[in-house]
Amino acid sequence: MRVEYINPFVESAFNVLREVLNSDIQRGELYLKSTSQPVLGVAAIVGLAGDVEGRVLFDMSKPTAIGIASAMNGEELKSLDDLAKATITELANMITAQAVTKLHELGFKFDLTPPAIFTGDNMEITDSKVEALIVPVILPQGKVEINVAVRERA
Amino acid sequence: MKTKMDFPNINERKAEGLKPDGTPYKVLVVDDSMFVTKQISQILSSEGFDIVGTANDGQEGLEKYKELYPNVDLVTMDITMPKMDGVTSLEKIIEFDKNARVIMISALGKQDLVKKSLLLGAKNYIVKPLDRNKVLERVLLSLK
Repeated sequence: MRVEYINPFVESAFNVLREVLNSDIQRGELYLKSTSQPVLGVAAIVGLAGDVEGRVLFDMSKPTAIGIASAMNGEELKSLDDLAKATITELANMITAQAVTKLHELGFKFDLTPPAIFTGDNMEITDSKVEALIVPVILPQGKVEINVAVRERA
Repeated sequence: MKTKMDFPNINERKAEGLKPDGTPYKVLVVDDSMFVTKQISQILSSEGFDIVGTANDGQEGLEKYKELYPNVDLVTMDITMPKMDGVTSLEKIIEFDKNARVIMISALGKQDLVKKSLLLGAKNYIVKPLDRNKVLERVLLSLK
């Protein structure tokens, strides 16, 4: 997979997270996976279809998701309730919207699905025939992995 | 009371959400995200605006507007929503009340739809993520 697809997602994740959390964030080492990968517990997934196709996953642990949602709402949320899920969905929305704007400017044309959130223990994701690039982002609330698996349509 | 005379109240700034006659502006918030609805409501309520209704999609937004009319001064309208999108809902609200004041709430990358909305009669737009100052500034501009 070409790195140029993931950069807009990482950049916009940085911009948006910095703005909504109003705190310092750090970037971990980028890595590549071509086998099944564990999902951390709460994942927002957005599908892409067009010139490029695949999916983007914003993956985090449940406490991290609750921490981020609490910070964005300015109040302590006790569980991953409807409001917390709506908050993480909106976060994924804002990040992908910004990234897609950049990719459109680069000339790639494609559509997005609305974000879906899935949660659970011991989950895995498998992308057949496309490897995933993962960039961990370190926040005060914990780690969010931006996990992008896209390819050009054959 | 004497203390009031001696110590001017530093909080005397008029809340932005009040009309010249002192009554609050009435706002209808249309958004399918519970998070965004809450965010907008909190920002506006804290400045004295009265959130008179919320709706989860464009269709419900239109119905609520008609129900509330004429007791509604402003609508905040998300663009991407199920059932009826914000641009269609805006169009129908303007059809019903040509003086309706509607502000579009948009994610980045929807410039074409924002432009279309402004041509259809939206007063202004706000791009997410929402920030308190940005929201208040745009809302006040469109109430002038």
